[in-house]
Amino acid sequence: MELIFKIAWRNILRHRGKSIIIGIILFLGSLIMTVGNGVISGMDSGLEKNIVNGFMGDIVIISSKERSDNILFKIMGKSVETITNYKDIKPLLEQQDYIEAKLPVGKNGAMVINEEEGEPGYAYLLGVDFKEYKEFFKDNITPVEGTLLGDAEQGLLMSAKARDELYESMNVWFIPHGGKLEEANLSEDAKENLNSLIVKENPVFMGFSDNNSSSDIRVPVKGIIKYRALNTIWGHFAIMDIESYRRALGYFSSADTKIDISDEKKMLLESDDLDSMFGSESIIVPDKGSKDIDVDFTRKKLSTTEGVDLESGTYNLIFIKLKSGISMEHGVSRLNEAFSNAALSGTDPGVRAVTWKKGAGPIGNMATIIKGALFFFVMMLFVVAIIIIVNTLTMATLERVTEIGMMRAVGARKSFISGMFVGETAMLSGLFGGFGIIVGVVVVKLIPYFNITTDNDMVQLLYGGDKFFPILSFVDIFVVIMQLFAVTVITVLYPVKVATGIVPLDAISRD
Amino acid sequence: MNIIEIKGLKKDYPLGKTTVNAVRGVDLNIEEGEFISIIGPSGSGKTTLLNVIGCIDTATEGSVKVGGAEITIMNDRALTDLRLHKIGFIFQTFNLIPVLDVIENVEFPLLLMKKHTKSEIRKRALKLIEEVGLKEHATHRPAELSGGQRQRVAIARALVTNPDIVLADEPTANLDSVTGAQILELMREMNKIENTTFIFSTHDEHVLKYANRVVKIKDGFIMEG
Ligand SMILES: Nc1ncnc2c1ncn2[C@@H]1O[C@H](COP(=O)(O)OP(=O)(O)OP(=O)(O)O)[C@@H](O)[C@H]1O
Ligand SMILES: [Mg+2]
Repeated sequence: MELIFKIAWRNILRHRGKSIIIGIILFLGSLIMTVGNGVISGMDSGLEKNIVNGFMGDIVIISSKERSDNILFKIMGKSVETITNYKDIKPLLEQQDYIEAKLPVGKNGAMVINEEEGEPGYAYLLGVDFKEYKEFFKDNITPVEGTLLGDAEQGLLMSAKARDELYESMNVWFIPHGGKLEEANLSEDAKENLNSLIVKENPVFMGFSDNNSSSDIRVPVKGIIKYRALNTIWGHFAIMDIESYRRALGYFSSADTKIDISDEKKMLLESDDLDSMFGSESIIVPDKGSKDIDVDFTRKKLSTTEGVDLESGTYNLIFIKLKSGISMEHGVSRLNEAFSNAALSGTDPGVRAVTWKKGAGPIGNMATIIKGALFFFVMMLFVVAIIIIVNTLTMATLERVTEIGMMRAVGARKSFISGMFVGETAMLSGLFGGFGIIVGVVVVKLIPYFNITTDNDMVQLLYGGDKFFPILSFVDIFVVIMQLFAVTVITVLYPVKVATGIVPLDAISRD
Repeated sequence: MNIIEIKGLKKDYPLGKTTVNAVRGVDLNIEEGEFISIIGPSGSGKTTLLNVIGCIDTATEGSVKVGGAEITIMNDRALTDLRLHKIGFIFQTFNLIPVLDVIENVEFPLLLMKKHTKSEIRKRALKLIEEVGLKEHATHRPAELSGGQRQRVAIARALVTNPDIVLADEPTANLDSVTGAQILELMREMNKIENTTFIFSTHDEHVLKYANRVVKIKDGFIMEG
């Protein structure tokens, strides 16, 4: 063994130039693979942390009518199915000892009606009881302008990104109700058109729901907000109090259920029942010129849902946070088991639990997809390395025919000859590839000490949040090692075949 | 005792549509400790005969026994081990491993044998290097040696395993006559010290005086010896 490695090593040194070229490719391949995997794993875990803690929780409970688990960004116009029996589900959730917290929400797309001449805008709405939202997601959002919603307060928290997007489609710039135009916060486009800027405080929404009962609803902007991280993703969402949301989507609101009425009657009684909910002075059924607004929260003072049993109304999703140490998969299977036992898993009005990864669709799989791409990129690099190594080794074999024949004549077995070539390649890939892995691991481990953070939305996507925190799992390193191993094996096959075909007689050059 | 017994050995080489009868029926017995020279004109079959005896080429017909064992029926693995343990080679072109220095080249077959400890191997290799007069060059690589010095390394390597037979196909053909004579003297000396059987081929009449027996070969037949 020692002899094989000695000869192999000296042959590497003898063909130093070629060895270095091969070495550099193997080194770079392993380094890129290791660091790349680290960055992507970091992104993955960053995304997970930010999504779980900032937007979706570990698990999402969705209506079993939902065909696909992916409910986060459905195609505009395709609405998320409703959950109408939260009152039945809630006690069951409270019995599950692995659940830390729960948050029922409404989630759907909405059209923002343009009251000027012009195109409408679109936004995703997240309807919540904001008090519960704060308990669930802590300080995930901060106001850029205006304030957050108070307990039981009705209104809208528009994300800065959604505001920019709405300006682009509608040419209307939204500011908080009763607030001032903050010129510093204007988007580039809006700045240029400052003189002709249309500023509004109370957008009118029309929710996209499958029933035809959605209403136009005017909601005051309470604040312009920013999510702590990943505004590129979450910025599409405006947070709305759940009752206004239900109005916009034409769902059963909690106020509806107070008076026990049928669905048809509800449609007819719309205006009366609004009074019953908000009290006569807080709500005005408008008659506002050409635009036919069903509900307007803004004419007088802002409304409140104080004293309303919000949980009796309609939701779309329930976000679940698990206690630490409980895996998502475990949580999902336990929950679905519980739903099934409680006869809550049927098609109507059943529900099912899915992991946030499934719920987030492509966002949940992003890391896996990028990792796959990286794997193939590095594989291509290694293919180049393989071609060069095979070439070099085969050349070396042909140059060394007499030498190898002599070794065989002197008593070296075929396995010894193969060993030399395997040793040579293994040393190259082990040494340079191993070095690449080590440097990669060091780089990945050092990066967190530099405490790199970013406000840039695109960079945040790469970091999986506001902090650059690559991590490496053993699996990642194992994959690189297996790649190197594959390179070694594939590379030596042909040269070994040639070399073991050399017979002792080749030691004697007779021409 | 006969260390080599050859009976009716024939070796044919296919050459295009015809066959070349390189060896056409050789009977030859060689005793242990002999110092034999095989001589004959070019193309007479000297190399072919040595290669068959050395188990690096196969016989077409006949029987060849080396140390009592019939080699014509052995497989590659058995022949390899036989070469390692019983036979030493000295090549015309001083075939050495370029990346190993003198002492490592001499140690090479011993390391393949895996029978001795490292220090035993080193001791034995050093002894032979001293005997062939290369003590000062022990750590030189082949490229740093003259032809004569390389052939001395080859002799040391051929002898280091204590083989029964050493085969040398025109060991002095690539050397000047003075160096050639030194090499043959060295071989003769080693033959005396180690009592190893030496078989070497040549077509140089001058070197015959070193041999204690001369086998003359012509057109694949033994003429004399
Ligand atoms: N591989 C081969 N294929 C075809 N013919 C061969 C082969 N090897 C040897 N021969 C032929 O066999 C005959 C004997 O060759 P060999 O090399 O044994 O002669 P030699 O006595 O060693 O000659 P020299 O003194 O020139 O080395 C020659 O006619 C040669 O051409
Ligand atoms: Mg010859």
